[in-house]
Amino acid sequence: MDLSLESALNAPGASGEPAGNIAGRPLDEWNAAYAKVESYFHALRIRNKVLLGRLVIHVLKRAMRRAPQETHLSATELAAEEMDLVVTEWFGQVLQESPVGANHMLSTRGRLALLLVDMPGKWQEQFLHPPPWPEEFIKAMREAYLRAGPDFQLAKMAPRPLDLGPIATLSNLSMLPFRKMIFVWLMLMLLFVVLFVATHNSEQNQHLLRAFLLRVQNLFH
Amino acid sequence: MPATASEPSTTTTPPNGTTFYRKRTIRRWLRLFVFFSLVTLLTGAVSVLFADLLWRSGWTNTSTILLVLFVILFGLISIGCMHGIFGFVLRTFGDPDRITRFGDYKKQSIEGVSVAVVFPTYNEGVARVMEGLRTTYVSLEQTGQIQGFDFFILSDSTDPAKWVEEELRWCELVRELDALGRIYYRRRISNEGKKSGNIRDFLSTWGRRYRYFIVFDADSVMRGETMVDLVKMMEVHPQVGLIQSVPALVNAESLFGRMQQFANRLYGPIFIAGLNFWAQGFGNYWGHNAIIRTEPFMQYCDLPHLPGRKPFGGQILSHDFVEAALLVKENWQVWLAYDLEGSYEEIPQDMVSNAQRDRRWCQGNLQHSLVLFGRGLRGISRIHFLLGIFGYLASPLWLLFLITFNWALWNLKSSELSVIVTRGMTTPWLKLSGKEHAFLIFMVCMGVLFVPKILALIDLAFDRERRKLFGGLQRATLSAVLETVFSSLHAPLQMLWHSKFVATILLGIGVHWGPQKRTADGMPWSEAVRQHWGQTLIGILWGAAVWKLDVATFWWFLPVLMGMLLAIPLSVWTSRTSLGSRARSLGLFLTPEETFPPSELDTLRVRMALLEKASPAPGDNAIVAEAVLDPYVNAIHVSLLREKQLNPEYRDALAKLGVGRPEVRELGEKLLGQGPEALTTAEKMLILSDAEVVPWLHRQAWIRPSKALASWWQAAIRKYAR
Repeated sequence: MDLSLESALNAPGASGEPAGNIAGRPLDEWNAAYAKVESYFHALRIRNKVLLGRLVIHVLKRAMRRAPQETHLSATELAAEEMDLVVTEWFGQVLQESPVGANHMLSTRGRLALLLVDMPGKWQEQFLHPPPWPEEFIKAMREAYLRAGPDFQLAKMAPRPLDLGPIATLSNLSMLPFRKMIFVWLMLMLLFVVLFVATHNSEQNQHLLRAFLLRVQNLFH
Repeated sequence: MPATASEPSTTTTPPNGTTFYRKRTIRRWLRLFVFFSLVTLLTGAVSVLFADLLWRSGWTNTSTILLVLFVILFGLISIGCMHGIFGFVLRTFGDPDRITRFGDYKKQSIEGVSVAVVFPTYNEGVARVMEGLRTTYVSLEQTGQIQGFDFFILSDSTDPAKWVEEELRWCELVRELDALGRIYYRRRISNEGKKSGNIRDFLSTWGRRYRYFIVFDADSVMRGETMVDLVKMMEVHPQVGLIQSVPALVNAESLFGRMQQFANRLYGPIFIAGLNFWAQGFGNYWGHNAIIRTEPFMQYCDLPHLPGRKPFGGQILSHDFVEAALLVKENWQVWLAYDLEGSYEEIPQDMVSNAQRDRRWCQGNLQHSLVLFGRGLRGISRIHFLLGIFGYLASPLWLLFLITFNWALWNLKSSELSVIVTRGMTTPWLKLSGKEHAFLIFMVCMGVLFVPKILALIDLAFDRERRKLFGGLQRATLSAVLETVFSSLHAPLQMLWHSKFVATILLGIGVHWGPQKRTADGMPWSEAVRQHWGQTLIGILWGAAVWKLDVATFWWFLPVLMGMLLAIPLSVWTSRTSLGSRARSLGLFLTPEETFPPSELDTLRVRMALLEKASPAPGDNAIVAEAVLDPYVNAIHVSLLREKQLNPEYRDALAKLGVGRPEVRELGEKLLGQGPEALTTAEKMLILSDAEVVPWLHRQAWIRPSKALASWWQAAIRKYAR
């Protein structure tokens, strides 16, 4: 891993670039690219500042090499693409899988393996490091697998019909057409029953009913 | 991962009953007869006394209504009272007929026995669920018997942020406990059938791997030793299909929560002992903190949909009672292990949250009225259903009783007639005036209500060890008095709430609570006013009406009215955690788990406090952004999605959801270009369900130039910079 930026920084005069430009891009653009790559490595919990700096520079150098040929891309885009390539290639080497045509599978598996082997805590110095790697690290990385459940043992549960007895008959009533109307008619009939009971059962009830009707009458006058 | 489907091969039946169990069957019927005969006698005697009072005052139509309501309501409190009396007697003189006393289960080996411990969760506080699981796992590990147990987090969460957080915290938990291949996580694609559907899905996928499964709630904790004991008991009793532990309420901090917790711990044991007296092997299931024999449960407890429309038709909401009834119907025993310690759950911290929970339970219990007459169900199961139904119906009946009484009073006052109290059936013996007669009935009712509480205190007085755990007899007595005062004020509010629930459920109307606001110390005044103004207004109007009708009656009504009038301050004050801890420092409402906290609860409390202090919870979109941006969170999420696709049912469900269609990639573009706020929850869920789009989003979010991303993403990426 060539980790020196000196060649790139000393080169402007040689390539005829104006001061403050690297690989045909202004320094500000490379600064933004640096920040983006650094953020990603932060997201991967690379805490060692020296290591972090070296990894970012490694990625930026690769981006700078591509920059003169790919003038339509910004420094940040180039750096982000290189970052993705560097990381995926490294996963391919460590996990012994081809990065070509993996369609995110390799990247996902690699990131998960980093988490499960606790790369940020135990193996930070191995991240993006070229081979050979410690045997323990390789073994842990290749065996890392997040198992969310044991082997399926599929069965079919089928609800048994529950005979609800008389309730089944009653609940069928709710299927009656015009049930709301029937309900209203029943309520009206009930009202008549109440009226009858209230007027016929006792002197007191009759008195109360008369008093009530009188009050209603008074309300309208 | 091999996936083989199989049908339940043979009908599972419990092993033939031994002479021991046949004898027990005879005794059970005797118990049932004795218990409910005493309830009937008590209810009958006091109802006659009440009917006599009505007769003496002049019988009218309202008298009939009042008497009918009185018989039902008094019958219900008589059952409670009898539970207390029987429980007290059993606890004092010993109860040999309990599951923990049958056979020497302690020596039973559980080697080779497979047990699943399942934690169904639905948009719950993720940290709390995981910490509860951690506590239980560590406790089980300490027993040295963990090898047979597998833990499952069964998520039904529909909130994308909860989903991602669950995965993240699960992964952390597994790594910290080194429990990969021991603690599993699965999220369903759709939450069809709610909790019972969640359990059903688990059983359909993995059920056959396990002889038993222990069901937890999101806020449950169990001691490892208790779980091992439950498994041993199931092994010793092959005819038992389910053992329900009695969870102690714990971890309450507000005054309300601590009072409920105290009541549960002080009065609970005698009530449950009384319940176990008549239920025996025909007990009940409360949905969690229970162990279940997998095979019969799979065979008999897949619940059918009820005919008709909602609220009664459709899916059975309170599935637990029905599942217990179905097991019992098929001759499997269901026991309450009421004396088994080490089973815990939490409780709502204020009156409104408590009512919100009641609303859900109310609908489920009322729905049981459809199952009540199901053919083949055991009579005792029907009693469990009835008690559940009347637990909620009692409130509107009580309200109706009070309204009818007021109506009768209004009738009397409007008629301008005076009441002439005549001689009644009881007059030759009791020689009571009308007022004395009424007062006697009132006192009997109070006695029936309070006898169990007094017996619980006497029970405590006889138990030196337990006395210490409640902070001494004096403090426990004072706490019981204060709790009784509070519950007297709370009861009318419960009556209004439950009546509203029953009415709205019957009319098919939903209850809108609005988002509940809570401060660190409890409910703010403005929130209490919003939640209780209606109850207060009812109290004022009702009080004014009764006052106008008859001042003497007003004073009789005051205890009922006070709860309504004081609803707002009562709700605010009892929700206060500061008052809860003040009461604790005064030694009030102490429970055994507070006095000598089990190590499990201590650890849970400390860890939760640390988590709360550690960092403020990120917003929902921020958690979703982590699934896209964070290399590890993204990898976990994608791996779980890929594993999900191995299950043919999930694969079909994902396809049905629209996963894999080009539209999902378009939504992904929208997410990157406009930020998460531009998407609906359903759209976010769809994106997060696509195992191809999620890693693509991760790559795109990191490699695209800033200008191609919404400013929201630019800010989110900047957070990773140091």
